Amino acid sequence: MPRPEIKMITFSIDGREVQAPENTMLVDAAKYGDVEIPVFCYEPKLGQPVGACRMCLVEIEGIPKLQTACSTPVKDGMVVHTQTQRVHEAQEAVVEFLLLNHPLDCPVCDKGGECPLQDISFGWGGGRSRFVEPKRHFQKPLELSPLIAIDRERCILCYRCVRYSQEVSEDYQLVLQERGAASYVATFDGHPYVAPFSGNIVELCPVGALTSKPYRFRARPWDIEGAGTVCTMCPGQCNVTLTVRDDRVLRVLARDHEEVDDGWLCDRGRFAYQSFHVDERITSPLVRVDGELRPVPWDHALDVAADALKRAGGAVGALAGGGTTNEEGFLLQRIAREALGSPHLDSQRAPVDRRSLLAIGDPGLQATVPDIEYAHAVLVLDTEPVDEMAILDLRIRKGVRRRRVRLAVASARPSALDGNAALSVRFAPGGGPAFAAELVAAARGEAASDDARAVVDLLRGAGEDVVIVASERVGAALAALADALGLRDRDGAGLIVVPSSANGRGLREVGVLPDAGPGLAPVARPGLHAAEMARAGAEGELTAFWLHGVDPLRDLPYRERWEQALDRATDVIAHAAFLTEGIREHATVVFPVEAYAEKDGTLTHPDGRLQRVRPGIGLQGRNRYGWQVLADLGRRLGLELRVLTAGMALAEVAAAVPFYAGLTQDEIGGRGIRWQEREAASAYPRPEGLPDLAAPTVREGAGLRLGTFRSIWASPEVEHSPALRFLVPRQRVEMAPADADRLGLGDGQRVVVSANGSRVEATVTLRHAVPAGSVFLQDGLVRDAANTLTGSVVEIRPAVTSEVAG
Amino acid sequence: MTPPYDPGDVVEVVRAPEPGGVGGAYRAFGETLRGLKTTFKRFVEKPVTVEYPEEKYPVYPRFRGRHKLHRFEDTGLEKCVGCSLCAAACPADCIRVVAAENDPEHRVSAGERYAAVYEINLSRCIFCGYCEVACPFDAITMGHDYELSDYDRSDLIFTKEMLLAEPLERTPLRREGE
Ligand code: SF4
Ligand code: SF4
Ligand code: SF4
Ligand code: SF4
Ligand code: FES
Repeated sequence: MPRPEIKMITFSIDGREVQAPENTMLVDAAKYGDVEIPVFCYEPKLGQPVGACRMCLVEIEGIPKLQTACSTPVKDGMVVHTQTQRVHEAQEAVVEFLLLNHPLDCPVCDKGGECPLQDISFGWGGGRSRFVEPKRHFQKPLELSPLIAIDRERCILCYRCVRYSQEVSEDYQLVLQERGAASYVATFDGHPYVAPFSGNIVELCPVGALTSKPYRFRARPWDIEGAGTVCTMCPGQCNVTLTVRDDRVLRVLARDHEEVDDGWLCDRGRFAYQSFHVDERITSPLVRVDGELRPVPWDHALDVAADALKRAGGAVGALAGGGTTNEEGFLLQRIAREALGSPHLDSQRAPVDRRSLLAIGDPGLQATVPDIEYAHAVLVLDTEPVDEMAILDLRIRKGVRRRRVRLAVASARPSALDGNAALSVRFAPGGGPAFAAELVAAARGEAASDDARAVVDLLRGAGEDVVIVASERVGAALAALADALGLRDRDGAGLIVVPSSANGRGLREVGVLPDAGPGLAPVARPGLHAAEMARAGAEGELTAFWLHGVDPLRDLPYRERWEQALDRATDVIAHAAFLTEGIREHATVVFPVEAYAEKDGTLTHPDGRLQRVRPGIGLQGRNRYGWQVLADLGRRLGLELRVLTAGMALAEVAAAVPFYAGLTQDEIGGRGIRWQEREAASAYPRPEGLPDLAAPTVREGAGLRLGTFRSIWASPEVEHSPALRFLVPRQRVEMAPADADRLGLGDGQRVVVSANGSRVEATVTLRHAVPAGSVFLQDGLVRDAANTLTGSVVEIRPAVTSEVAG
Repeated sequence: MTPPYDPGDVVEVVRAPEPGGVGGAYRAFGETLRGLKTTFKRFVEKPVTVEYPEEKYPVYPRFRGRHKLHRFEDTGLEKCVGCSLCAAACPADCIRVVAAENDPEHRVSAGERYAAVYEINLSRCIFCGYCEVACPFDAITMGHDYELSDYDRSDLIFTKEMLLAEPLERTPLRREGE
């Protein structure tokens, strides 16, 4: 639904005339007149108010009984009183009721000091209880999940957590059991509440009934400081506030930003901060001496790395990924291109050429994140939001549920959003670009498959505002599709292209691409993209690799080829936070990378918003800032670099990327700024037409077609966070029951999946939604990752018991 | 020289009387004799000073000296639950509490949480007693010990063990009527 128009009305509150938007709830309208009405259950992010707690009673002239301000929309000429005797008595009574069964164990309660129940009892309560009977008792504390503790005695039955589970994250797990005073919050069948977004209920609960287990008893509000920054663990780039005590991050809270995250976080973003403070983190430069990585002084490591890079010169292949900032990416490409004379740079998982990127990044085709919510229709194309850009999953659900957005999902693997979609279509694994080309044909009225036509009909039928959320790998067809659907220059419609790494968009705009420099400018001599680099390395053409936040064995396809390449390379310079396999086995120099809580720099959100990552804690161990390390390397390699602060690094970026011109840290500020909305956006290069859209059709083979995906939990940060370790995925092969029957396999059976002689072990997971003929394996795992397989057509047979290791 | 500011009004200078005469003689001897009178009066009294440190000065029962942390007498568990309220109340910001969760097998305190770290920096403490007032469990009280000098500032950071230990109570209390 398009954004509604806002009409201002005038009403009177406590004898003052106040202007407020019509139909906002009285609680919010009162704020326009600086009047605070206490609430417990009201939380606009949860959708329609329920009026469960009765804390917000007010008197409205003309209505005989007191009304709940959280669920009464304000009307023109309303006369509201919040300070009359009746209201005070009612508020005191409500507080007294809420506290009847409340244990009042504030000293041992984790919420103490930041508890709305404490504040409201103090501010609006009578301070006395007439209740002398024994209080209700529950067993406590209990685990609601390995991440959340529940204390049912403290629960005031406000329904927030239940509404969240039912109406926001839509995992439908939490319910209220029993009736009356005996009610308690639980999962419907008593299993632990495990879901990708479960941690949000901790922040929602207005009392200490739901508390974070990793944060439990760590600090009080007066012991801590809050530090605002941006999560860099996925392209969602949610705004967060770090809770810092004694220079350690103890908690991550959402820093509500309507244009980015809508105030929610995923559990990885919320709990993976633990990995900032583990011993496994690299906090000192390492150099390989006699086959072993040893800590060395910075100068030594920089000298060794600079020598190695100089030696390799044009035969260096540089990759950037992970949380690499714009500044780091820019310096990396500048050093590689100018000092080393190597054009081999990449930041993408699957190659998309410059012309396509130029077309899909065009300011006229960009949608913003809130557009998802207000569009007529949303198409999710070849991406699984919950895994690739987690927070979008909640946004899309919100749009469908609250604003009746029509959702179409087109993907190879069954999506978590299928249940919300008006239409879901499946294509063969790897068939994203081909399906997109068909959509273009359908939108242009040319011959196309039924599926493609059905999707286009649905989008057209819903209205003009269409937002397409698609993976970057779909490429050029996205721009053609947006044009064919008439989305160019339409406010509230366009593309949101999900890149393959957290700052994928920023990295390509600052020029970490084989065929484009800063600002997507053409380069004279295009280099090799990632997959070609692996081949060139294996064949000895590239002699050194420079990895910034990427471990090719972990993060990129063609693991076997990468193993050969890294093995053969004389030098592998890595900037990494953890010694993942590729780094541990192959790196010759390792520079520590800061956790995002220590970083200073900027990122570019997939919708073009530049955001600042700001240090919340000091550099751990002997870490240095990433831009500083790169600037030092650049100087050793003979570059003139005037980079002494993160701000100066940003100035370099802004000077080189025409459509970022003039950006400063101050302008970006705490909320970020979309570059498309600045004047400099007009400097975006003119798109130069599209390459041929005819994508290679997926080969049909005798075996099963392999699709891969990377789970939200497949990341080193999750592996190194003690609280999240239970979520670290193990390889499983998702297949259709029909295929399993044919092969004589059952759910939960151990199997060997093989292709061209390469093999991984996995456990069978039957999913009815998987189309017959396709199977899915996970990438990004420590063992048995899908990128070990060298072919896209696989065979599956039961594992012989002796073959199953560990 | 003109004053750097405008005094605004007439400044009247009051001078002492000229020396000499009866007034002068009184000033020379009279006041001296008066002082001597006090001296001789005190001369026959018992001394009010004590031979510190051999002898300690007694304090009133409500005197606020070095803190003590307490245990329950029956169970031996620490009364402190690590709620950090004392730290919130402390105007000198000299209390540091880091709480942790009790292991039901090896309880430290009676509640769910206990103070894993409890430190008071006595070189900063102003002995106001707010911590004692804030504590919901009477876990911390102000003791009577006032002998708190040391050679090293860091030795004045008292840990939980030091505060829990039965103090060498060296300070005598003032008796009724003393
Ligand atoms: S657990 Fe918290 S959020 Fe859930 S109903 Fe109880 S008080 Fe409300
Ligand atoms: S959705 Fe992405 S950016 Fe947001 S908290 Fe989760 S990992 Fe971080
Ligand atoms: S006596 Fe006062 S200054 Fe000293 S620790 Fe207690 S609250 Fe702080
Ligand atoms: S001494 Fe008292 S106020 Fe201080 S942490 Fe312990 S229980 Fe809380
Ligand atoms: S806030 Fe209005 S009833 Fe709960």
